[in-house]
Amino acid sequence: MLQIENLTKIYGDGTQALTDVSFTVEEGEFLVVIGLSGSGKSTLLRCINRLVEPTSGRIIWNGRDITAADQSELREIRREIGMIFQHFNLVKRSSVMTNVLSGRLGYTPPSWSLINRFRKEDKERAIQALKRVGIPDKANNRADELSGGQQQRVGIARALMQEPKMILADEPVASLDPVLAHSILGNLERINQEDKMTVICSLHFLDLVQRYATRVIGLRDGIIVFQGDSEDIRQLSDERFKEIYGEEAERLGA
Amino acid sequence: MEANQGQTENKRPSLIHGAFSFILPGSGQVIAGQLKRGIGLFFTYIILAGLSIWTVAQRARFPDLTLSAKIFWIVLFECAAVLLFLICVRYLLTRFIIKDVSGQVFTQWGLIIFYAVAIFLVADSLLATAGSTEELRQVYGTTTVFSAAILAGFWFWQIGDAARIGAKGAVPSLAPAIAIACVLIFILGWNITQIDLPKAIAEYKDTQIILRKLIWPWEAAFEFEVISIEATAKVQAPCPAGEAGPPENEPIPGESWVIVTPTCGALTVMDLSGDLTLGTELTISGGGFTPGSEVEIFWENPIGNPFRPRGVGDTIIAIDESGEFITQLNIPQAIVPDTAVGAQIHTVIIREESAVVFTWQLSREMKLALVGMLETIMLGLMATFFGIIFAVPLSFLAARNLMANIVTTLAAITGGLLVMVAGLLLAYIATRQISAQLGGLEDSPILIAIIAFVLVFGLGLLGWRIGSWGLTKMGERAPALLSRLLTALLFGVIGGAVGYAVGIFFSRAIRGIVLPDEIAALTETRYAVFGAILFGALSMVYAYRMNYFGEIRIGMIIYAIVRTIMNIVRAIEPLIWALVGIIWVGPGPFAGTIALTLHTIAALGKLYSESIESIDPGPLEAIQATGGNRLQTIIYAVIPQVLPPFISFTIYRWDINVRLSTVIGLVGGGGIGFILIQWIRQFQYEAAGLAVWLIAITVSILDYVSSEIRARFV
Repeated sequence: MLQIENLTKIYGDGTQALTDVSFTVEEGEFLVVIGLSGSGKSTLLRCINRLVEPTSGRIIWNGRDITAADQSELREIRREIGMIFQHFNLVKRSSVMTNVLSGRLGYTPPSWSLINRFRKEDKERAIQALKRVGIPDKANNRADELSGGQQQRVGIARALMQEPKMILADEPVASLDPVLAHSILGNLERINQEDKMTVICSLHFLDLVQRYATRVIGLRDGIIVFQGDSEDIRQLSDERFKEIYGEEAERLGA
Repeated sequence: MEANQGQTENKRPSLIHGAFSFILPGSGQVIAGQLKRGIGLFFTYIILAGLSIWTVAQRARFPDLTLSAKIFWIVLFECAAVLLFLICVRYLLTRFIIKDVSGQVFTQWGLIIFYAVAIFLVADSLLATAGSTEELRQVYGTTTVFSAAILAGFWFWQIGDAARIGAKGAVPSLAPAIAIACVLIFILGWNITQIDLPKAIAEYKDTQIILRKLIWPWEAAFEFEVISIEATAKVQAPCPAGEAGPPENEPIPGESWVIVTPTCGALTVMDLSGDLTLGTELTISGGGFTPGSEVEIFWENPIGNPFRPRGVGDTIIAIDESGEFITQLNIPQAIVPDTAVGAQIHTVIIREESAVVFTWQLSREMKLALVGMLETIMLGLMATFFGIIFAVPLSFLAARNLMANIVTTLAAITGGLLVMVAGLLLAYIATRQISAQLGGLEDSPILIAIIAFVLVFGLGLLGWRIGSWGLTKMGERAPALLSRLLTALLFGVIGGAVGYAVGIFFSRAIRGIVLPDEIAALTETRYAVFGAILFGALSMVYAYRMNYFGEIRIGMIIYAIVRTIMNIVRAIEPLIWALVGIIWVGPGPFAGTIALTLHTIAALGKLYSESIESIDPGPLEAIQATGGNRLQTIIYAVIPQVLPPFISFTIYRWDINVRLSTVIGLVGGGGIGFILIQWIRQFQYEAAGLAVWLIAITVSILDYVSSEIRARFV
């Protein structure tokens, strides 16, 4: 479904964020990318929908080369790939409804957006999406009136609006406390299992990784240092752990 | 000082360094290794001396700088000599006399007082001395002597400073030098701004009349109606030949009446030497007026102009208890039309102003001021409105975070620019044709403006699209080398066009400075062609090396251009823009609107773009990730975030604009300022006071309203 071939990203200031990263994602997988902050997880996820331009390498999405797509093609691909963010990235002053509806922009003619118009069925779809993440009563609240967990649910609902084939989740629970983390990841897991939607998720905590991942990729300094399933994570030796997380890292939480 | 006595004995001040600084201020410090300090002291000395000489010359109203400088240096050296003498006295005192008595006499404060007294004594003694300084005192006043004395103090201080640095290597505090410089600058500033306290106090009372009118002008805001009782009688002058004058009036009971006897006579005449020959004496009696009041006598000449008769008797008459009066008056001088023949009928008017009644009618001045104020508010409003319309789109172009990632290829730019120019030309021709069809700009200006805008915008954009699409497609299909060469060639053409313009600009603007315009124009083409070839060749090489798919950060180029233009427009004061506007469309509110609009666009554009730059980039990312295009990203991620600051800045700007438009009115930009400056020049202080009050009231209301609204949005 998604093939990443020799992906390399060097930022303008010379930082080598990703070096020769290659892997394949199958449909329906819950792929977790682990690694320290600064290991290139976010860059990797953002390269997939080209929020960050890759320096070299190819990303093949269902037979289409994302890296070679022009602007309009890229927008078509992007609407098939939902994304949720560590800081939710909601427009805080807009209503929850508007935030969720904005997930539909890829399907909405740009001229409609000038007068803030959406299709009627999109509005119904938005209410359904809010129901699915469990906050249908918050539709008319302003986004910044919601708690962190609720805001992330809005983020998921926005991604669901795209009717995506895959969801990229960049540290979706890093700004939330552990109980909420399970609730949010539970949501993602349900979407993954019920809709057979592929999820690529970057995470910090090993216990969460073991609980939710069907497959795991470990990144360190932009290089893949580990590939395996959740069983492999459970049996991770201290040496392998330190390979991924670095010498000074300690096991936490497991 | 005395505490340092031991040290100074150990390390004597360096005479060499002191000597250098004596000859050239600051040089001793430089030699001692204090380069910055030395240079700083040197320039401070030079600037202070120059400023003193200039001030002295100005004060003398005799701006011969050479003479002033000569005299100033003489005084400076005289001061220095006296100061030196005093310093020696102090030294001798401390060393041989006072030290033996008490050991410590001169504390720091004592020192300061000593020098202050010394400087005063020097200045005073110089003023008192006869000879050259006496003339000086008369011609140049005390400023010369005081500033010279202080500068001499500065000179001595830096000599001592050099000597101490040379000896010890340690660097003494600069505070005394700064203090001396400040005192001197204060004295010079006092003179340059021509501060004159005695005059200010003595002549303060002159302002009171004006101040009273300015502070409380409200009497002028309303009309006062004068209710008067009038009675008239006819008088003929001169007496008609062979006839009596008009019949006498009769007393009318219950009404006011006046009787004049006789009813005809001779006018008062002034001969060429200015001597008056009084006219016939009339007895004027009347009744029916308010008992105890006063009436005034007016004379109405045959043309019908009433005036107060002068030099022929009292014209203000008291009324007795029965409401009657009687008085004598000679027939005054009165103008008679040249064409008048024979006896003319004049009228005596007796008028009693029984009451001055306040009416709710606004006076003419108040109406003018109100209209002016309205004009001003509207001027500010329109300028803000147009400012928003232009500043909002510009601000997006001037926001780094939105523009930084707009990248395009060389092929797209080259093709786009070329075809866009073609599109614009086409739009120009089409607009001219349509305009001619519609009967010219005078007949239907708005329609033509709209058509022109649509054509220019539409065809320009279409041209850009077609050109960039075409050349990009060609790059994909055609052989690589061919595309590369063709793109380079086309880009060279663009570069050549720019070079042509630069050549002409160089010829006109730069060469025009040193050459007469006609001569510069003769060789203009040469420069233009040279520029075209140079720029064309350079851009061709650049484009060839970039290759047709090479990336160009067009966003940042547009960003830089828009920012630069906005900064330039903003740097020019609205007052200057108003002058431009007045030349453009003539004095009046429209000129003011143009001036304020231009400045508002630039100012709001900067504020807007800065608030766009400070938004949270997260939502932008999120909207892009959903597949939204650039427009949608702006509408759904940028605008909701920048709306509150935009509103806040806009209202703030409106507030500023209304205040500025009063000032702009002063130079002819319409509105209340325009009226105010006229009233001030006509010495109509009461009316001016009304305008000032209206401005103050409007501005404070606006201030309050704008802060209330902004508080709601931030």
